[in-house]
Amino acid sequence: MADLSALSSFLVAAVGLGVPLALAALGEMVTERTGVINIGLEGSVIWGALGGALGALAAGPYAGLACGVSTGALAALCFALFAVRLGTDQIITGTAVTIGSLGFTGAVFQSRFGATGIALELPTVAALELPLLSEIPILGPALFNQAAPAYIAYLLAPLLAWLLFRTRWGLAVRAVGESPDAAHAAGVPVIRTRLLATVFGGALAGLAGAHLSLVHTGTFAENMSAGKGFIAIAVVVLGRWSPWGVVAAALFFGAAEALQFALQAWDSELPYPLFLALPYLLSLAALVGWFGRARAPGGLGSPWPTARR
Amino acid sequence: MSPGEIHGLIGENGAGKTTLARILGGLAAPDSGKVRIGGRAVELSGARQARALGVAMVHQHFSLVPSFTGLENIALLDPGAWNRRGAAARGYRERVEARARELRLAVELDQPVGGLGVGARQRIEVLKALMPDPRVLLLDEPTAVLAPQEVDGLLAVLRRVADAGGAVVLVAHKLDEVLAVATRVTVLRRGRRVLTTEVASTSAPQLAEAMVGSKVAGPATSSRWRGAPLEATPVARLAGVHARRDGRQALRGVALEVRRGEIVGIAGVDGNGQRTLAAVLAGVQRPDEGEAELPPEVGWIPQDRTEEGLVGGFTITENVALALHGRSALRSGPWLDWRGVGEAALGVMREMEVQAEGAEMAAGALSGGNQQRVVVGREFLRSGSFLVAESPTRGLDVKAAAAVRARIRELAAGGDEAPGIVLISTDLDEVLELADRTLVLVRGRLVEMAPGDRTHRAIGRAMLGADRAGGDDW
Amino acid sequence: MRRSPEIVRGLLVAVVGLAVTAVVAAALLALGGHSPGATFAALIAGAFGSWDRFVSFTLVRATPLLFTGLAVALAFRAHVWNIGAEGQLYAGALAGVAVALLLPTSAPLLLLPITLVAAAAAGALWAAGPAAMRTRFGVGEVITTLLLNFVALFLAQFLVQGPLQEPRRIFNQTDSIPEAAHLPALLPGTRLHVGFALAVAVALALWLYLARTPGGLRLRTVGASPRAARVSGRFRATPVVWAAFLTSGAIAGLAGWVQIAGVTHRMYEGLSPGWGYTAIAVALLARLNPLAVVVTAIVFGALSAGGGAMQRDAGVPEAWVRGIEALVILAVLATDRCWQLLAARGEGG
Repeated sequence: MADLSALSSFLVAAVGLGVPLALAALGEMVTERTGVINIGLEGSVIWGALGGALGALAAGPYAGLACGVSTGALAALCFALFAVRLGTDQIITGTAVTIGSLGFTGAVFQSRFGATGIALELPTVAALELPLLSEIPILGPALFNQAAPAYIAYLLAPLLAWLLFRTRWGLAVRAVGESPDAAHAAGVPVIRTRLLATVFGGALAGLAGAHLSLVHTGTFAENMSAGKGFIAIAVVVLGRWSPWGVVAAALFFGAAEALQFALQAWDSELPYPLFLALPYLLSLAALVGWFGRARAPGGLGSPWPTARR
Repeated sequence: MSPGEIHGLIGENGAGKTTLARILGGLAAPDSGKVRIGGRAVELSGARQARALGVAMVHQHFSLVPSFTGLENIALLDPGAWNRRGAAARGYRERVEARARELRLAVELDQPVGGLGVGARQRIEVLKALMPDPRVLLLDEPTAVLAPQEVDGLLAVLRRVADAGGAVVLVAHKLDEVLAVATRVTVLRRGRRVLTTEVASTSAPQLAEAMVGSKVAGPATSSRWRGAPLEATPVARLAGVHARRDGRQALRGVALEVRRGEIVGIAGVDGNGQRTLAAVLAGVQRPDEGEAELPPEVGWIPQDRTEEGLVGGFTITENVALALHGRSALRSGPWLDWRGVGEAALGVMREMEVQAEGAEMAAGALSGGNQQRVVVGREFLRSGSFLVAESPTRGLDVKAAAAVRARIRELAAGGDEAPGIVLISTDLDEVLELADRTLVLVRGRLVEMAPGDRTHRAIGRAMLGADRAGGDDW
Repeated sequence: MRRSPEIVRGLLVAVVGLAVTAVVAAALLALGGHSPGATFAALIAGAFGSWDRFVSFTLVRATPLLFTGLAVALAFRAHVWNIGAEGQLYAGALAGVAVALLLPTSAPLLLLPITLVAAAAAGALWAAGPAAMRTRFGVGEVITTLLLNFVALFLAQFLVQGPLQEPRRIFNQTDSIPEAAHLPALLPGTRLHVGFALAVAVALALWLYLARTPGGLRLRTVGASPRAARVSGRFRATPVVWAAFLTSGAIAGLAGWVQIAGVTHRMYEGLSPGWGYTAIAVALLARLNPLAVVVTAIVFGALSAGGGAMQRDAGVPEAWVRGIEALVILAVLATDRCWQLLAARGEGG
């Protein structure tokens, strides 16, 4: 029975850690489906974490979540105005947005709370236990005793699957990503679609960031996103740009991270920095092992309309 | 335009045909002036709105999403494919199939269109445009990529559309197609309408004159003048060559011999292995099977001038250096001898009469014709014995194209020192004008045409392959 | 082989970009409740206030940026999106320190070259993974280089807390390296070390390589159009891509070790405040021209040197410096793009 409860708490941790990745990656998946790769996602995550913290301090944890969504969306909007509207290079623009977000969130944080180094304590979003469902042995508590963002992720996956593959909207989105010229010829507003999809991705990344500060840690620290946004981009590749694949890949990473915590708890003598590196190494390994079988959207990364040189 | 009319719109490259078509199709806004549909002036602000007003368009370059199936491509533009919630409407597929039967179009609805042949894609493109029964159907150079028989099939579909009361605008640069199907014709030159007339009351020479603005010399003789006899030993030889491209079998048992001083023309519809054949002949791709005996250096005038033939951001000198940078004569120690390369570049410019401000001008700033002259000259400098030219006049205006063709002809007529030239082109007229011998590339196989069979009809049949018998359906 | 309009365009874009950055940064500072005037004054005084500030702070800070900036510029020239200079820098730093601490020799003429080679090799090795993943498996290098930055960071953490930790085991840092491995001072009486001269020499060599050699022509061709490389140049792009990855990684690796050998003399967590990322701004502002990187690295070195003064004298958190770096990248991208659009409109009539 001790083993079972250990397994159960491992699963709870795995899902809890997988949720922010799943949220950010589902958003980025939609963004990439329109042909935009947003490396600035990391920036949206850190802005979401800070926005979540400030919102929660001002008006409670749920307001914090909403605030995190908006700040994440704003960071993505900034990226999109340059990379989509103006047509600057997506990779460099995204990197700049990430660097700037890490800098400016640090600046805002320091001017609000000072550079004291005392950990900030935030009101956290409590877990919501779903009646009946949470009583399923082992899986129940892991899946259905989580904070609200987890349920958003559960609902989002089937919703996005339906939207992308069964509706006119989804066909238009995919057309923009595969071949913007063809989409334009078919009357799909390419720029607007890409802008909205990028902002949507940023909003979800912001929610993921708020999850980090308000569910996961209950505090905010500079650079606390620690590459979560980048891992989310790898998760999109591993999930082969499909909603269910993305969720599965995100949970896999959540499990890897939970495993690292479990191992640390088990033997504190283990060199924990090496375990911290584990999710990143796993991302790399999975990219190599998996990539050959997946196909990225045809127009991914290229600005539109195509610039004449 | 009136219902039941087929209106031909002709003009040279750059005369404004595509721009006019794009304005009608709602993809571009006029700087001034009005578009009237059904007697009302309208402002078209996008393809969907043009569509709602009954204007449908078939684009010059395929506007299909390669990874989508035929059905998905058709549904993308058709509001009828979706119910009120935006989800797929019931029975849509049946409606599409019924429409295809009505128009007698043989379409493949469930394959990703990227894997289909050019003709099959064009049929989906046409069906996509005709799905909601538009009042006006616009086609921008729809025949450029098709074999002659497929052109006939398309023209027959257009007649059926007009007979059913639709109006058709056919943009073309080939006079015979327009004369074959249109009821009225408009000629554009440098963005101006120079002539609109009934087809019945005009003739090909009159239209040609209107297009170019002056009398045109009669069509070039089909076979070119030749000076020296051919050498006996081939300068390049392929035997039983099989090769792949992107994992797919692109060449199947190709045999070819080219001698100095001859131009071997290779006709065919795009996508039948042309690119792979060029790469094998240039020595860049090694065949999987079979033999390729090639000279150590081969000149290659590639299909895509701006992406492959030149680097637009480089100067003319740097572009010439691309071909010559491996030569020891142009190095001193580890350094490239830029002065030597610069002289070579100036030589190319003189030889090919390139109009430029100097060898340090960016290649991207040259006109298309001058860019192609740089490529031809550089590749001839690379190899004096064997040249591969892939659609060398694609996208050039009539004068520039004629000049490039004349250069190729002169090279081949250069006596004992003349190179052997392989001309791979989808433009049948170009092949017939320049080549001494004609072969047809179809599904990776080369078929030699007998000298008596060098007609559009016979070559067109070969281009489609023997197994596609022409039924009623296109 | 650059033409003069290109140089004019580069200068204009850089100047306009910096001006736009200054205006936007001033507005944001005012919004954040800081006085832009006082902030800029503190920044400039911190960077250029005296000969010693300039040499011992600005140029010293510019040195690692010069290395990483060159690494990024070279990679981007070949269209290799190496966002991993940060990780390669750590790899080089770790290798250099490990060799310096573990190699039983104290001859400077031997130890210094060996450590430099080790650092460059480690940086190249760190870049070899993404190179292999791109050329063998078709995995884009943006994500892989980014992920490896974190791996390098954790590896450094592990080593300075474990196997390479100082014997006292108090701080997370290594023992100081033997004197034989120190880079000598470049200007006596200042903190500027020979590493700066080495970086300038690398810049010169890269410039000569790109402009004057067949290999440089190939690299630029691959960056401009891989298809033109194959068809017009008749060479395979893959070896060129590999060369760009490895050289870029090696130069970034030098950045880390030169900083230790010239300034800190020991390795610790957080050696780099993100020089591998700032490098992107450095390289872009220089339009990927190695000689111009020397200038832009000094500009960003000044920003970094002035950042400390800014925090001390104007009370503006140093985190602002990162934000301003991002503004520079965005401003340069936008200015360049607008220039392009205007030029296209001009051509169109």
